[in-house]
Amino acid sequence: MRKRNSLLYYVLVFTSAQIAWLSLVGLWIYWYVSNYVIMTKVGENVPPQIISEASNVFALVSGLILLVLISVSMSLIFIYLTRQMNITRLYDNFIANITHELKSPLSSIQLYLETMNSRNIPEIKKKEFLNLMMKDADRLNKLITSILNISQLEKKHLAYNFQVCKFDQLINELINEASEQFKIGKDSFIIEGKTSSRSVVDRSALKIVINNLFDNAAKYSDGPVKLKIHLEANKKFIQVKVSDSGIGISPRDQKTIFQKFQRIYNKNVPNVKGTGLGLYWAKEIIKYHGGKMSVSSPGIGKGTTFTIELPIFQTAKRRRGKRLLKITRKTKQQMEASDEF
Amino acid sequence: MSSEQYKGNKILLVEDEESLAIGLEYNLSEEEFDVTLAKDGRQAITEFNSKQFDLIILDIMIPYLDGFEVAKKIRSLDPQMPILILTARTSAEDRIKGLELGVDDYLTKPFHLEELILRIKGMLKRKMWYKSISNIDSKYKAKNIEIDFERLYLVVGSKSNTLTVHEGMLLKYFIENKNRIISRKELLEKVWQINSEIETRTVDTFIARLRKLMEQDPTHPVYIKSVRGAGYMFSD
Repeated sequence: MRKRNSLLYYVLVFTSAQIAWLSLVGLWIYWYVSNYVIMTKVGENVPPQIISEASNVFALVSGLILLVLISVSMSLIFIYLTRQMNITRLYDNFIANITHELKSPLSSIQLYLETMNSRNIPEIKKKEFLNLMMKDADRLNKLITSILNISQLEKKHLAYNFQVCKFDQLINELINEASEQFKIGKDSFIIEGKTSSRSVVDRSALKIVINNLFDNAAKYSDGPVKLKIHLEANKKFIQVKVSDSGIGISPRDQKTIFQKFQRIYNKNVPNVKGTGLGLYWAKEIIKYHGGKMSVSSPGIGKGTTFTIELPIFQTAKRRRGKRLLKITRKTKQQMEASDEF
Repeated sequence: MSSEQYKGNKILLVEDEESLAIGLEYNLSEEEFDVTLAKDGRQAITEFNSKQFDLIILDIMIPYLDGFEVAKKIRSLDPQMPILILTARTSAEDRIKGLELGVDDYLTKPFHLEELILRIKGMLKRKMWYKSISNIDSKYKAKNIEIDFERLYLVVGSKSNTLTVHEGMLLKYFIENKNRIISRKELLEKVWQINSEIETRTVDTFIARLRKLMEQDPTHPVYIKSVRGAGYMFSD
């Protein structure tokens, strides 16, 4: 039997149920009113034992209350069901994507191993193949680590190493590292603005965020990548804007892009790889730092700007910054204790 | 593994995974195939329109146009072109969708190099064999069906449909062995020329598609009947 996955099917069932109970109420009221009219007309001739006005009103009111309760419950269940269906759909997409992401490097490694095993390959080719295999193994490793880290992040078990950093220096380092990793030349990005503010940051976590934005800019650009990074600070927050010249994001997709497993399916997207976890992970990391992350794009083909806001250590939420540093101290102590064992 | 028979056969390899594409290109070239690489769906169609190919290896998850759309376009342009889908997608739905679109074979990643090469050679061999047999006895008529094996055309009543090479070969084999029970194993060995332990479901998917094209009521087939526990039997 074909699975009924269409939301329309459930909307129809829900609407029919609502129409059914509303019709029932309508009939009920009609019956009550017509009885009332009859009773007022012939009431004088009816023995008083038969007329029990108070109990009729009570039955009507309590019945109506119960029906409203049923309707509210049905609506809640319906909302919950549609949410669950959406999650299931996204999860199915995630499984398909993750299967692809895991199997592609694995098949490549297997292909090279079998090639080396069955053919006489010149030394120079062997080296090339080994390098490709190492690249694939690294890709597998990164993917598995990211999946495990997401799970740790959600359980708040991730071992953070928060430190008070000079933000300007740190972000410049991370940008240069990301540009090298994703082969984005020095002339393909510019850094504007400065800040002397400090922030409580886990360097490796922020590196994941910056890498993610650079990786996306490289993946979703039709031509050569162009990036502009703008840095500024107000009283409470340091703001980093990363703007790319890529294919842009429609207003509809901007609303959902940070959701877990969310991926944009569009024929004009030049890349189909991904797990739908990257931006979710980035946003969660920034949130854990007490900051905010958002996206804006003038539309398809017009580039995208990601904005990250992180709290300044000296002024705002100093208590939160200290709490993050305390988490790091605690984690270190726990790790030292386990090392001693 | 190399063989003179296939030397210079032109293969269009549609694969966007750089590392895998390099490895496949190397191995196919070592087998003396002439390989052209396309990295996305658009490029695949452009390459297909600009050159003559003998076989296409197609990934599904590729940019711009996915593998299914590419297969559909290629199939509409050339019903006899052998298409092998090589993908990481393993679901039964994907497999059925591919076979329904008329692809000839479906191999999932990770795969064994030797198996891939054997399948490619098998497909090329079948293409050559099909060309030779379709010239000898190219038409078949019975009741309300008419099959043109050369043009890969099936007419049922007033409805006409194109067939894939595999479907044509399967029908040809059934017709040649009319009123005899044929097992899935035999069909795999004779028509697909592959080890029967690999995929018996492939046969069922092809039979289901043929029934859809030929039978008035595919649930109560007249031409291709199922024989429980034994296989299939064709009668007209």
